[in-house]
Amino acid sequence: MSHPRISVFAGSAKGIVDPIRVITGQASLLARTMHTLSLDSVHDEIVVPNPFAEALLFFRAAGSGEEKPIRIIQGPKTMLTYTDNAAVDPVHNEVFTSQRRTDSVMVFSREANGDVAPIRVIHGPKTKLDRPVQVSVDPVNNILAVTTMEGLWIFNRTDNGDVAPRAIISGPKTGISGGNSELKVMVYPEGKKIFVSGGGPLKIWNYDDNGDVPPWGILTSSSKTEMHGSVSRVAINRAAKELIVLNRTSGVFIFSMPDLIQ
Amino acid sequence: MEFQMNQWSANKTFSLLAALAGISACIVSGAGRSYFSSSVWAQDSKKPADRKSIVLDRSPIRKLEDPNATLHAIAVDVERGEVFVGNDNIMSPPSIMAYPLDFAPTDKVMEPKRRIAGPKTNLGAICGLAISPEAKELYAVDGDGESMDVFSLEANGDVPPARQLAVAHGSGGVYLDLKHDELFITTEHVNKITVFRRTAQGEEKPLRTIQGSRTKLADSHGIYVDTDKDEIFVVNHGHWRETAPGEDDARRKGGDGSRRHPGVPEDLAPSTGQFFPPSITVYSRTAQGDVAPLRVIEGPRTRLNVPSGILLDPASNQLIVANAGDDSLLFFDRDAVGNAAPVRVLQGPLTNIKGPTGISVDLKRNELWVTNWDNHTATVFPRNAKGNVAPLRLIRTAPKDVPAPGFATAGGLAYDPKRDEILINN
Repeated sequence: MSHPRISVFAGSAKGIVDPIRVITGQASLLARTMHTLSLDSVHDEIVVPNPFAEALLFFRAAGSGEEKPIRIIQGPKTMLTYTDNAAVDPVHNEVFTSQRRTDSVMVFSREANGDVAPIRVIHGPKTKLDRPVQVSVDPVNNILAVTTMEGLWIFNRTDNGDVAPRAIISGPKTGISGGNSELKVMVYPEGKKIFVSGGGPLKIWNYDDNGDVPPWGILTSSSKTEMHGSVSRVAINRAAKELIVLNRTSGVFIFSMPDLIQ
Repeated sequence: MEFQMNQWSANKTFSLLAALAGISACIVSGAGRSYFSSSVWAQDSKKPADRKSIVLDRSPIRKLEDPNATLHAIAVDVERGEVFVGNDNIMSPPSIMAYPLDFAPTDKVMEPKRRIAGPKTNLGAICGLAISPEAKELYAVDGDGESMDVFSLEANGDVPPARQLAVAHGSGGVYLDLKHDELFITTEHVNKITVFRRTAQGEEKPLRTIQGSRTKLADSHGIYVDTDKDEIFVVNHGHWRETAPGEDDARRKGGDGSRRHPGVPEDLAPSTGQFFPPSITVYSRTAQGDVAPLRVIEGPRTRLNVPSGILLDPASNQLIVANAGDDSLLFFDRDAVGNAAPVRVLQGPLTNIKGPTGISVDLKRNELWVTNWDNHTATVFPRNAKGNVAPLRLIRTAPKDVPAPGFATAGGLAYDPKRDEILINN
């Protein structure tokens, strides 16, 4: 078990380097098992989950040291259960989180604080949500992408209640079905692509894909990529056209992707 | 998701309007195609179900690494004159290393006498270590896996465990009660103490468990059992939710959530999560079920800050806490209760203590051992050390000034375009 923390590195860092700052310590209320980190560049904030206290924590993006959260969503009304993921929509001031334990996706006001009810909940038999793992939201194209144990579910951003997804990418050709609890997701609005990591190569689909379809593209571990095992997480540096990849057993890899990143 | 508003704000208005008009797919993808290679063009022309995935196989332009051993758990074998330290860095890869207790002080990297590592070992994020000098066994608990792996004290290299015991996901702290031949294991994810026979293996059921709302277990980590006074001491980070007995067992057997009843979603329910102060909770050694602690040490005077390891020094009758959050060791009177201040503190730049996690005492040599997760070292002090004092000697697993990136078990990743920064959380 590592120490719970958010470590910040220079974008150009390489090799073995110390973080330039770290958010950590008891006052931060950070716990292990926060499986995502969502950055809101518009409001200059970070949101991370604390599954053991069933909370969403908001920090200043420039935070450092034993920094306290500036807001906390937590309490009985929230219906959060062991939440380990979050995604911010800074355009519509909302924060999304999937709930594996209750087969649901909760949506809160981004500015909510304390014991507040979600403003929308996607939940019910029509959703076919089966232990959803992580969410990512595209506020411009109105896409809500959700990885589940059986693949990739795509909803409309504003969906609420017991609604069917607009698309389900699942099946043997996808390589992401079959009970994978590690599937993470990131939407890329500019390229209209959805990145799914965890459990093998990084897989990329188009927004309009649906059904049992192979990924549009893959980035895999190989002697050339120098990665070993599964691609765990991804992020995009759009200005530099770089894909940033976390390979948990080897490190963080930065790839130049001008052909992919617009 | 990284929302890189700054970089695409110029396109946002256009994209929003285009999206509203229902023509975004055509216009935006058309604009973007000038970036794609000819192979991408060809691939895009096929039906999705028939296409062959483009393989983005290329060399990285740079990478961030954390390849050095990160020391977490520790166990001292006084009779054999060895100390075992657990490296939980899955990029290193994970290992258990045996070093001599006696060695000439050195500032250089020390090679271990033996190292258990490799795919056959099943080692992952090693969070807890215990040893039985009598049985000549080493017990390693994997915080990210779901097993306790048992090795011979003489094990070396890529060797399989002599036996394995299934434990709950998120287990970490382990204490071997030699007097009663029982293993005590804490589980962070479900706020639980589980007691097994030392020789338990496979799916063997525990002898006892302590779990439930009355226990005040809250993101529990290190554990110590005082067999003279029959008490259990546990350090807690204070992150709490209600956990149902057997919750972890259901998960391990793949029976959590809707898998128990396919096609029928789990019901929504009020959240139970709360933040409590970090604490030391004390129980009867034979307690079981949903029992209240005998006493609790918590409050601002305690200085508890992400407490990770705990030990009772029988000679001084003091509890020692590895206080990872402020790079200190705290010493409490064994019978302290409530908002009690530590009776002494070991902390400061001379100590080399940074992110302390594991502690062990060598009663024969009157020395105190500490593993420092944040600087690739294990440090040795006189047992009565306090204040800002230099260690007697230390073990380095990386050269002195090598950075410690600290993302050994990273969970999340983001890019901040405003500051050109990469964020990683554990």
